[in-house]
Amino acid sequence: MISFVPPLSRLLLWPSLIIALSLWMKGGASVGGGFPAGALAGLAVLLQYVTAGRDQARRFVAVRYAAPLAGVGLLLVVGTAFLPVVAGYAPMSLFPRPDQPEIGVGGLHLHTALIFEGGLMLIVFGLVVTVIDRFALRTGGEEEESGP
Amino acid sequence: MPILLPILLALACAPLAYVAGRWRTGAAAWMGALGSLAALGALAWEWTLGPGRLVLPWAPSWGLSLEFTRDGLSGLYSAMALGVGALVVLYSRAYMPHHLHEEGRPARDEVRFQGLILAFMAAMVLLVTVDDLLLLFVALDLTTIISYLLIGFDREDPESRAAALLSLVLTGATSVVFFAGAMTLGLHYGTFSLPLVIERAAHDPASTGALVCLAVGALGKSAQVPFHFWLPRAMAAPTPVSSYLHSAAMVAAGVFLLQRLYPLFAPATGVRDGLLAIGFVSMGMGSLMALVADPFKRVLAYSTIAQYGYALVLVALGSEGAPLYVAIHAPCKAALFLTAGAVTQVTGKKKLSEVGGLRHSLPVLAGASAVAAAGLSALPLTAGFFKDEVFFHALAQRGPAFMAAGLVGAGLTLAYTLRLWWGLFGGPRRDVPAAPRLLVAPVAVLAGTILLGGVLPGLLVAPARAAAAAMRGEPSTLELAYHLDARAENLLAVGAWVLGALLFATRRAWTPALSRVLEGTSRFGPERGYRLLLHLLDRLSTWLHEKEVRDLRDRVASVMVPTGLLGLAVLGVTPLRDRFKVGTVGWADVTLVMALAFASAAALATLRAKGHLRLVLLISCVGFSLAMVFAFAAAPDVALTSVLVETTFTLLFAGLLALLPPDRLQHAQEEAQKPRGRDRLAAGVAGASAFLLSWSALSHLQADRVGARTVELAKAAHSPNVVAAVLTDFRGLDTVGEMTVVVAALLGVTSLLRLKGRR
Repeated sequence: MISFVPPLSRLLLWPSLIIALSLWMKGGASVGGGFPAGALAGLAVLLQYVTAGRDQARRFVAVRYAAPLAGVGLLLVVGTAFLPVVAGYAPMSLFPRPDQPEIGVGGLHLHTALIFEGGLMLIVFGLVVTVIDRFALRTGGEEEESGP
Repeated sequence: MPILLPILLALACAPLAYVAGRWRTGAAAWMGALGSLAALGALAWEWTLGPGRLVLPWAPSWGLSLEFTRDGLSGLYSAMALGVGALVVLYSRAYMPHHLHEEGRPARDEVRFQGLILAFMAAMVLLVTVDDLLLLFVALDLTTIISYLLIGFDREDPESRAAALLSLVLTGATSVVFFAGAMTLGLHYGTFSLPLVIERAAHDPASTGALVCLAVGALGKSAQVPFHFWLPRAMAAPTPVSSYLHSAAMVAAGVFLLQRLYPLFAPATGVRDGLLAIGFVSMGMGSLMALVADPFKRVLAYSTIAQYGYALVLVALGSEGAPLYVAIHAPCKAALFLTAGAVTQVTGKKKLSEVGGLRHSLPVLAGASAVAAAGLSALPLTAGFFKDEVFFHALAQRGPAFMAAGLVGAGLTLAYTLRLWWGLFGGPRRDVPAAPRLLVAPVAVLAGTILLGGVLPGLLVAPARAAAAAMRGEPSTLELAYHLDARAENLLAVGAWVLGALLFATRRAWTPALSRVLEGTSRFGPERGYRLLLHLLDRLSTWLHEKEVRDLRDRVASVMVPTGLLGLAVLGVTPLRDRFKVGTVGWADVTLVMALAFASAAALATLRAKGHLRLVLLISCVGFSLAMVFAFAAAPDVALTSVLVETTFTLLFAGLLALLPPDRLQHAQEEAQKPRGRDRLAAGVAGASAFLLSWSALSHLQADRVGARTVELAKAAHSPNVVAAVLTDFRGLDTVGEMTVVVAALLGVTSLLRLKGRR
């Protein structure tokens, strides 16, 4: 019997990733944020690992470089937090400042909090995907060893 | 930014030398020496511009700035560090290949060594140029860390490693004490800028505690009693390290700190008397140990302790000659150390009893080191004469008892210096191969400097006065000249020479007795205390470790119980008002209560669950129920995150089960069904603490106080989503900290699982 799960999970990958991105982008205004976005994207990749296997899942660049992505995320987070210090602001000053006008169209507003949340997303995504990848590597290796 | 030029040049030395070393191993030393000479040139050019300060704002909102100064003290000490540094690096070009060959290490490591020496030089130049309490501490710790790498350079040698650890622990611990003192001063005066602190201290003297903390940091660095014992041990390092760190640079840093901070110490006569006593004790002890030590590097190490005792006495007396003393001592001691290294290289011996009669084979080295020895023991026509002149001058103002102590100290110096030089070069002739020219040249250059200063003392006056003025904050009238009359200084000097010569002539009579006495007393010294402390700490950590890793449950308990006790202690010390209130439950809360009841039931079921997979599912059931609670409580953000995290967690947990060996899982399952008494106790403490803490925190919660104001602020911060505003803006720094922890966990997972995979 052909299971409906693998094709469905392949179909689900891109919509989930887009939802994750939207969770990130609108995090400042409504439900969402970098953390759930990263977790959702990680889950989408996890589904690929379960149904298609490690090799198939690793076709995507973002999966192969998940751990460095987490490093980039940390740089973004720390940069947003401490770069304002160089310009003489208190650490963790976000721009535009509360008394400055916002720049943006509709629900999307440009704000440095977006970069910060993006960093969170990359870190969470990197953590989840790396751990899955390590698990898959280990279990896959053992199966080969215990095979005929 | 002219003040930064020497620092920048000094900082560039190490990388440049490294690059040159990649091209050709031998080029590193020349590149480094060239760089340090360039920095010295920049320093001399700046000297003509007169004193100045440079303030770079760093974090103005915290009142922090990077402050640098160009005054007499920084000029004198930078010149010393750069000049001796250049010579030592060149010397290491001739010394290290032989040393590395004996250690069985590749010749390339020479570049690493020279890079470290140059990095140390840069740290030292930074230390003497900064004018800010925090930066002083940073530079001080830089020197400590690099000195650890240098002392432990022979990493195959356990003695070398132990010596490096000892110096790191001791100078690191004392520099933390220094930091405490610096923080106290900074918080008290509201600034870390040194001139401002000194200005405010003029009306409001610094507290004794802070001064003692600062002094402890300086004494540890300068290897004064009771922190002296790291220095002789550090002689396990290659000779260029001893020559540089333990004569001109690292040990000088301690006394430098006291001179830099002298205006703070000036009104505190009690602290200064304590320093005076420590200086005299170090002087006496170092001199006596130097009289009987056999390895010649140890003689020099003990002599360094004694000589910095002199410098400490001068600082404690507030003498103008204190900076000059250190500056003259540096070339003398560096030259003698380099001589010792050269002798070890050509003879292969390290002890005075094994060498001798080398003056015929190594005439230039013998002559140059004779000049350095004469400088160390303050004979006329060398610059060293003036270091004792200022010393005697300061003591003569304090009375006969001080003069007598100074006379004995100077006499002992002459005696051990004579013993050292005669032990190396005197006695029956012995022929050895000639030393490489590059091994002798730095000693000759240093000897030339010492002679020049002795013949033309006028050259020394201007830098010495500038440094004294910077130290004491008032113009200096220091005079350096030979006087052929019966003044107290001259009489003391002559007395010291007679005493030293007498001691040297009769050395066979008293050496055995003295070494027995010193050996006996060294059993009760602070070194023994340090060893005992290290041993006990080792035992304690082993004991704790064994307790912790006995089985999984103990390991969990070792985290949970202390955390629980901490929570209970927090509850114990905070006031009891508005705590542990029981609210009301209305009809609207029914869904909430049902979800909570479901979560509790799942949690209780984990206690009796059979099989790990079932356990994982039950735990995730608790999590999902809580997510439901959040959803009912109108917290969609938390609920969403909760669901996503719970899903990820469950799947990863299930995946983890596949990685664990089945028999281990079986074993753990059986164990978990049979709780022991202490498991129940640990669970009780942790559970009670968590329960009471949550109850107490939730009774504090006032919706209007937290809610309305936060919503308002979130709107102002352009983030209508309150949760996002709290996460990214109001508590942004917390988030940064948490994310750092996440990335650290990621690194841990990657390396752990990769390790397992490889095995």
